[in-house]
Amino acid sequence: MPALGVLALVVGYPVLYTAYLSTQRMNLLDTDPSRYIGTRNYVRLFGDPVFWSSLENTAIYTFGSVIVAALFGLSLALLTENLLGWRFRSIRALLLVPWAVPFVVVAFLFRFMFLQDGGVINAVLLRLGAISSPVLWLNDANLALPSTMLTNIWTMTPFFFLLLSAALSSIPIEVIESARIDRAPTWSMVFHIKLPFLRNELLISGLLMVISNVNDFAKIWAMTEGGPGYATTTLVVYVYRLAFGDFNFGYASAIGVVWLVLLLVFASLYLRAIRTA
Amino acid sequence: MFNRLIFAAAVLASFPVAVHAQAPVTLTFANWADAEAATRPGIQAAIHEFERIHPNIKIESQAISVSEIARQLVLRVRSGNPPDMAELQGNDTILLALTGKLEPLDPYLGAGGTSVFTPQALNGLVRDGKLIALPWTVSPVALWYNKDIMKKAGLDPNHPPATLDELMADLAAIKKAVPDVAGIGIDTTNRVFSMTANWPWMQTFGADPIADDGKGAVSPAMTAYLSWMRSLAQNGYLQPGQKMGDFRPLAAQNKIAFTYDAVLLKGVIQSLNHISDAELDAHWGVTPLPAGPTGKSFTFDSGHNLGIFSGSQHKKEAWEFISFLATSPWGIENYTMKYETSLSPLKKAPSEALEKSLDTPLLQAFITKVMPTLSGAPFGAKFAPASTAVMAGVQQAVTGTMPIADIEKSIQQNMDKD
Repeated sequence: MPALGVLALVVGYPVLYTAYLSTQRMNLLDTDPSRYIGTRNYVRLFGDPVFWSSLENTAIYTFGSVIVAALFGLSLALLTENLLGWRFRSIRALLLVPWAVPFVVVAFLFRFMFLQDGGVINAVLLRLGAISSPVLWLNDANLALPSTMLTNIWTMTPFFFLLLSAALSSIPIEVIESARIDRAPTWSMVFHIKLPFLRNELLISGLLMVISNVNDFAKIWAMTEGGPGYATTTLVVYVYRLAFGDFNFGYASAIGVVWLVLLLVFASLYLRAIRTA
Repeated sequence: MFNRLIFAAAVLASFPVAVHAQAPVTLTFANWADAEAATRPGIQAAIHEFERIHPNIKIESQAISVSEIARQLVLRVRSGNPPDMAELQGNDTILLALTGKLEPLDPYLGAGGTSVFTPQALNGLVRDGKLIALPWTVSPVALWYNKDIMKKAGLDPNHPPATLDELMADLAAIKKAVPDVAGIGIDTTNRVFSMTANWPWMQTFGADPIADDGKGAVSPAMTAYLSWMRSLAQNGYLQPGQKMGDFRPLAAQNKIAFTYDAVLLKGVIQSLNHISDAELDAHWGVTPLPAGPTGKSFTFDSGHNLGIFSGSQHKKEAWEFISFLATSPWGIENYTMKYETSLSPLKKAPSEALEKSLDTPLLQAFITKVMPTLSGAPFGAKFAPASTAVMAGVQQAVTGTMPIADIEKSIQQNMDKD
């Protein structure tokens, strides 16, 4: 009972208050008190192109990053699973470093690496002759989102690597041995034996990372602040601008409620899919 | 007995007064001067000097970054916890005034009232007949031109561009002759400050994207402005997505031909290169913003203001402090000019030495040529949300290929939804 009380206070109150604010016209700059406007914020939301482009960017950023990072993490886990000895253990430990670096530090690091002039990425590509002039990685409307995703993938891959490495080591040795006795080829071993064992870990870690990425503010804000234009504006960046730039708490709350509902729907469908499988 | 009681009562009655007279007053001062390495020693020295002169007043500096201060102050005002005083700038000053919690400062001014300040320093600070904040530093923005680069490109360094056509011709010549330097520095980030900084460029095209008629963003003048910005980027003259401050290191290294910056760039270049006023004048000059189709030059003041919050229990002491910073000879000489490299808001310099220190070609160009072109952006509640929409459009123009007409429609639509 006390736990329920704490949960109601810590989780329930902010959610309910946000839902309440979403029905208000509330701007912190108004000297008038906030007033009830019903569903007007929600109606406005459906006609707001920035909301829809933010939703699209959120989906691309989240699912693109999670899928690619999961594939990289899985590949690294499979490639390093049989490496033994302290040297290989050190390599595996090194692979985890990106996960240990604070996200804001990573974002600034990549921001400097992506600099048009003086950035290491352009410098290397120019030296290799891969490009003839510096590329505006973060200031080109078409490249900004992929560039932030690349940064995100770099930080997330170790998470999948760690989790899947642990899962791989827990596959019963008898299963692997019997497959070897049957002379199962490598690809068959991976697809028919190892992957089914990793399914639950992949699905659960995928869900965790999807939720984490939908709410990812630090990396995007530190790298592009949602620009250029709205090219990297995700829901969280848009809500931040509305609430703390324009002080429009009513409309920002309406987007927050829609965002919460979308995440809940996604999470419940995902969990149901896991249970069914 | 009765006399003793009266005596005791008199002693007791006088006690709180005595305590009050001796008790130090602590004032909270939210500012970004203390948050930036370049100005921190200056503001701390100013606080120490003030506390030395006023031993009963202590200043508690609350360092907040310039990009955060408006957000934090509005939230603090709304939660009933504002500081006594704050450093403010541009639209942030107006936002705070809109909350109704900035103390009008007219009653604190001396006999001269606001007439002691230059009209440019007061620009936008008098609302409904009341002075909402005290002008502290005046820092108009001008087009800085690098004389060495102009010479290398075969241009006359004594003839900086006066029109946008001349500017484009100069940029083309520089790009051809000195391709390894940046062309022009204009802030194209998505911030309220960058909208303020771009406003004079829009004005010279006759554009007013937030005009009350609801069609400001979709207009021939806006098309011309956005197309011009796109041409700057497409010709490789402009590095998009950079803040005004990002071009300063380039300026100090003579790697940018033109940059649109405030007086304080003087201090940045001199401190990094350890050069005198005369050496700076030999390499750099300033000129008003080149005129566009309207034939007029415009600029804005990036200077700082000081406000007192109406909830302060010590407004008189707060006034003592902010007037010390803004108008005392010590404050102007040792902070405004030394650390902010800015001009004083006063019409007349408070000392001959200060008057003399303004006598350099560069500062005189600011005072005589740039200051008269100062104009105010239409600050107010809708300026901040409009900034997001307009600057997103500017970014789309300088970084993408979306047709300008579509960008204009998008800007208007995103402003209209508010």
